[in-house]
Amino acid sequence: MNRYECFEFLVPLMNDQLVVGSLSGQRVEWGHLSNHPGNLLVATMGAALGMGIGLALVLPHRKVIVLESDGSLLLSLYNLPTLGNLSLPNLTVFVFDNEVYSGTRISEPSATAGNTDLAAVARGCGIERATTVRDLESYKREAAKALNEKVLSFIVCKVEKTTGHRQIQRPTEDLWEHKYRFVRYLEKTEGKQIFLGRG
Amino acid sequence: MEAELAARIVGSLKAGGISFVSYLPETRLSEIVPLFREDPSFMVVPVANESEAVSISAGASLGGRPAAVYMEGSGVYVGSFNLLCLGKRLGVPMLLIVAYYGSLLDNRNSFLYAMPGIHLIPILKSLDIQYEVFQNGDSLETRIKGCVKMMHAIKQPVALLFTGEFTI
Repeated sequence: MNRYECFEFLVPLMNDQLVVGSLSGQRVEWGHLSNHPGNLLVATMGAALGMGIGLALVLPHRKVIVLESDGSLLLSLYNLPTLGNLSLPNLTVFVFDNEVYSGTRISEPSATAGNTDLAAVARGCGIERATTVRDLESYKREAAKALNEKVLSFIVCKVEKTTGHRQIQRPTEDLWEHKYRFVRYLEKTEGKQIFLGRG
Repeated sequence: MEAELAARIVGSLKAGGISFVSYLPETRLSEIVPLFREDPSFMVVPVANESEAVSISAGASLGGRPAAVYMEGSGVYVGSFNLLCLGKRLGVPMLLIVAYYGSLLDNRNSFLYAMPGIHLIPILKSLDIQYEVFQNGDSLETRIKGCVKMMHAIKQPVALLFTGEFTI
């Protein structure tokens, strides 16, 4: 199972969900497959889950999907106790765990290549529905279930290490454009003003 | 801090439209926490780490609830990468309610607090985060209102540093 084919399954299932993504190949691949204005690809490590928690808290009627990676989650494990206590039913977390820090020129093992089990860590923090999937069929089953149910889901997806994202052209949209597109979409779909300062 | 000052801080934040607060508890301004909790207009989220608080409040802010992070001065150090990447680079408005420990006017200052206090404002300056230092309750409401307006105008974090009378 690789991340791109996981995304190919997920993208057509998106309608009014909000998708918060992390960094690196994940951002490139999701952005390549989906141009939905409900995407908020924050392009930094260790922040997507926190932002997803904030969005899920203030928009309890919207489904929020967080796309994390092993490296990004390991950098922000402090989110898990908070999430376990909040138990947000409108939040689904996918952790695409390729067990490496994979930059444009590096490939170094992350802790999940060793003894760390992120789903077990999540369960230990009180996230009851935390599971690990290792093949595409299991992934599709768990993903569909998570999207259709109102329960906090935390799915660690063991994916192959790939370099396909390196062949995909990087987005030309900068982060401010990206943010405004997301906020204007939310303002339109929520029927309220979000940015309050006068232009 | 006197109860009256705590009430004026929270009242000013409410008047400014702040309706979401994530926080990591600390001593100096701790009287504001029960006031947040008692007022249903605030959504209050305790966290384990100030980086987390910054990211959660950033999500809340972009989701439509004007947000604040309440922390000790040490939280600016801990949260600095998210303040840079979310607050500045992505451009997300939020107020930082900071207990300015280790400042010259900190009534509880000590060897432990002085060093992080000395470097707090240089850190904010290096991040280009606008800040206001509050030593007493003079014009508190007007100044907090100005900070909220600045936060919305620049769509970035603005820090409120409380010291002096707020650290008793």
